[in-house]
Amino acid sequence: MFDIFFVQQLVNGLSVGFIYALMAIGFTLIFGVLNVVNFAHGEVYMIGAYAGWLSITIFAPPLFVVILVALAIGALAGFGLERIAFKPFRRFRDEASLKSKAMREATLLSSLAISIIVRELAEKIFGSNMQTIPQDYLLLTPIQIGPLSFASGQFLIFGLSIVMLGGLQWLLKRTQVGLSIRAVANNPMGATYVGINTERTIIATFVIGSTLGAAAGLVVGLYQGAIFPAMGFAPGIKAFVAMVMGGLSSIGGAVVCAIILGVAESVTTSFFAQGWGDLVAYVFLVMTLIFFPTGLFGGGRDRV
Amino acid sequence: MRRSLSILVIFIAIFVVLPGILAVVGGGYWFRVTTTIGVFAILTMSANLVSGTTGLMTLGHAGFYGIGAYTAALLATGLHWPFYLTLPVAGAVTACFGILLALPTMRLIGIYFAVATLGLGEIIHLTLLNWVGFTRGPMGISAIPGIALDGLFAASDMGNYYAVAITAALTAFVLGRLAHSYYGNALRAVREDDQCAASMGLNVVRLKIQSFAFACFFAGVAGALWAHTTGYISPGDFRFSESILILAMIVVGGLGSLPGAIVGAVILLGLPEVLRPIGDYRMIVVGAVMFLSILFLPRGLLGETSVLSLMRRQFGLAWDNAKQLGWRQ
Amino acid sequence: MTTPLLDIRNATRRFGGLLAVDDFSGVVQRGERVGLIGPNGAGKTTVFNLITGFFPLTSGNILFDDTDISQMKSFQVARLGIARTFQNLRVMPNLTVFDNVSIGALGAIGHSPAKALFNHRKYAEDISRRTWETLERAGLQDEAGELAANLSYGKRKYLEIARALALSPRLLILDEPAAGLNDTETAQLSDFVRKLSNEGLTLLLVEHDMAFVMNLCERVMVMASGRKIADGTPQQVSSDPVVLEAYLGSEEEAA
Repeated sequence: MFDIFFVQQLVNGLSVGFIYALMAIGFTLIFGVLNVVNFAHGEVYMIGAYAGWLSITIFAPPLFVVILVALAIGALAGFGLERIAFKPFRRFRDEASLKSKAMREATLLSSLAISIIVRELAEKIFGSNMQTIPQDYLLLTPIQIGPLSFASGQFLIFGLSIVMLGGLQWLLKRTQVGLSIRAVANNPMGATYVGINTERTIIATFVIGSTLGAAAGLVVGLYQGAIFPAMGFAPGIKAFVAMVMGGLSSIGGAVVCAIILGVAESVTTSFFAQGWGDLVAYVFLVMTLIFFPTGLFGGGRDRV
Repeated sequence: MRRSLSILVIFIAIFVVLPGILAVVGGGYWFRVTTTIGVFAILTMSANLVSGTTGLMTLGHAGFYGIGAYTAALLATGLHWPFYLTLPVAGAVTACFGILLALPTMRLIGIYFAVATLGLGEIIHLTLLNWVGFTRGPMGISAIPGIALDGLFAASDMGNYYAVAITAALTAFVLGRLAHSYYGNALRAVREDDQCAASMGLNVVRLKIQSFAFACFFAGVAGALWAHTTGYISPGDFRFSESILILAMIVVGGLGSLPGAIVGAVILLGLPEVLRPIGDYRMIVVGAVMFLSILFLPRGLLGETSVLSLMRRQFGLAWDNAKQLGWRQ
Repeated sequence: MTTPLLDIRNATRRFGGLLAVDDFSGVVQRGERVGLIGPNGAGKTTVFNLITGFFPLTSGNILFDDTDISQMKSFQVARLGIARTFQNLRVMPNLTVFDNVSIGALGAIGHSPAKALFNHRKYAEDISRRTWETLERAGLQDEAGELAANLSYGKRKYLEIARALALSPRLLILDEPAAGLNDTETAQLSDFVRKLSNEGLTLLLVEHDMAFVMNLCERVMVMASGRKIADGTPQQVSSDPVVLEAYLGSEEEAA
């Protein structure tokens, strides 16, 4: 009935989709709250992977410690990113500036600039080649279930995305920080009036989003065995596509779309050459923007 | 008087002084750098029309540049068309592609348009890379005939320089006339407040499409120039990072400012060359200059409003409050 | 009797479950000064937005000089001769006063890259002449070279009206022209608008300043909850019990 090869491709696509989802969660959180596109999210992902790799090569600690290191560095990166690329541009608040194109898109451009600088610096420091990862840490232990083969990393990615998604929901719905994040997302001005510290909430959002991104980077780096300075670009774009498809501020929608995207890419590569697989994301992106301006799951913002 | 003098000074600088210096310094290398700056000046001026003046941030300009380059390269190598035909045809083909691709995305606003163009640019890049039968894929197209006319002149550094300089000057003239005229005011109105512009009788969608088509036309011409002057193109020349480079140049120079676009190209391509002795930090310099410029000069080195009035005074005919003359070209 | 300049017939607009404008009919005769008043949220601005093609009618139609404009886009309506100003001023702060007004002139004369490239001298002259004439009419010629961002609030009001006038409209729609002005400025504006009207321009305006409306307008339409509840001279309307109730009722609700 089902070609086993095809099912295997689906499984692989699913894990690729979860990778994009891991990335999309943090991305969507930042966009949903601040309505800014953080082009440097891919670099946070790369930083997370490098932080993990450095701790492995220097101390060789157990895996969960490596993950903790990546989380901590990710949080730090998020904090720094917000201070450098976003904070300085909140000072333009006069009328002419608000209406001026250059200033409205300032954070888009500044995060783009920071992402270039960080990526190039990483290349200067570590070289542009892939890093070798000790065999023990590669998440490629094969696991055979019936005729299908999995790698241990796939389970970790599944698990991590579910834990991250659940944790984020808990954080947003059940904690004080989550409440202020949701308030700022809804209405920044109103949030300020009711006494929410907007500055601190924005930092918290960046820290949380970047922590998630860094964790994703590390796990994917270990699973794919590929840690290199430009590793964040492609998943960053895919995560963005997923976010746009999912209706922008809906984290759940972004996750679902990320998985759809991963599966679609994987299926495409089984029919066409590898190179065309990358095209899928962009075609999805443009098609979504044209035909579903509010995202596949609605509830989006005005973009027309 | 003032107008003729300014034009004369610019002409002498571009067509006599600069090539003279390059010839004396005597280096194919510096010719190469200058022609690259020229090609990128055309790209930034064209992207500036749509991103700066009309306010539609484009992140896919390199893709359209690529369409122009491949059109010219394929026509020149396959059908042996000379450069004076491939240049305009490449522009026209690119403009058609631009209209076709951008038509459905024109209603998107702000960041969504930017992202859509990012997608389009990458689609073009990946098509160039993967459609091996037509574009020869990652191998690229080599042995593209240079800028030469049988019996008149052969391909040379100086010929390339003049081809790029003349095209860039023409581009500046046409785009200047569009952006600095009242037509440019219509484009700026679309940028500032499209709803309000529409209620003043401006056909916003048509203006957006027109400016995008002009931008694509000149991007295509720039691509054709690139193909003919380098003799070899590959998809790697038309990646997302090139689009970013173009955007950075516009931002540094000042969104909406035509001379700013040229200055941006000169700085972001010239600075890495000057800094070459220290090491290859090209992209870091680009990122840093872009970041510092947004931080400290958010309107760019040559901001739109001041440059607009300066350029109109310098090259226009009149602005006379007493006689009640507006900007005349 | 000639046909009215603007003829709104059973205009209805629904936003989801909300009936913003409910079966609104009304006419504006040539040369008239008509006020549209009503409590907050009555749907006055929505009526303006329907006339100027910002969004389509749910049902009904609107005739302008016998042409059905209900399906037209904003720019087409504007080119036919309906110009408007906005409730919260929408001048373009990064453009000069002259350039702001030239946008209205562009709308009337038309914008085409071909003209800018090949017939630039005549094109520029047409637009600049029209712009100067309008600036003079609005008394803004001394500020022509200023950035609109540097203008005082009162001057911006005139700038918005000037930009609309540059379209050479036959019907001028003003959305709360006197809002935010002090008594002297309001009086000046009233005189200015009356002068425009005396030059033959037809006016339709929404305003909360009752003195301004009653003093300026020849006829007043009153709206409440999307419906037209009264239509007549200022005297008739101000003594109409239905109108009084609508206003008092809304005040009670507000309190």
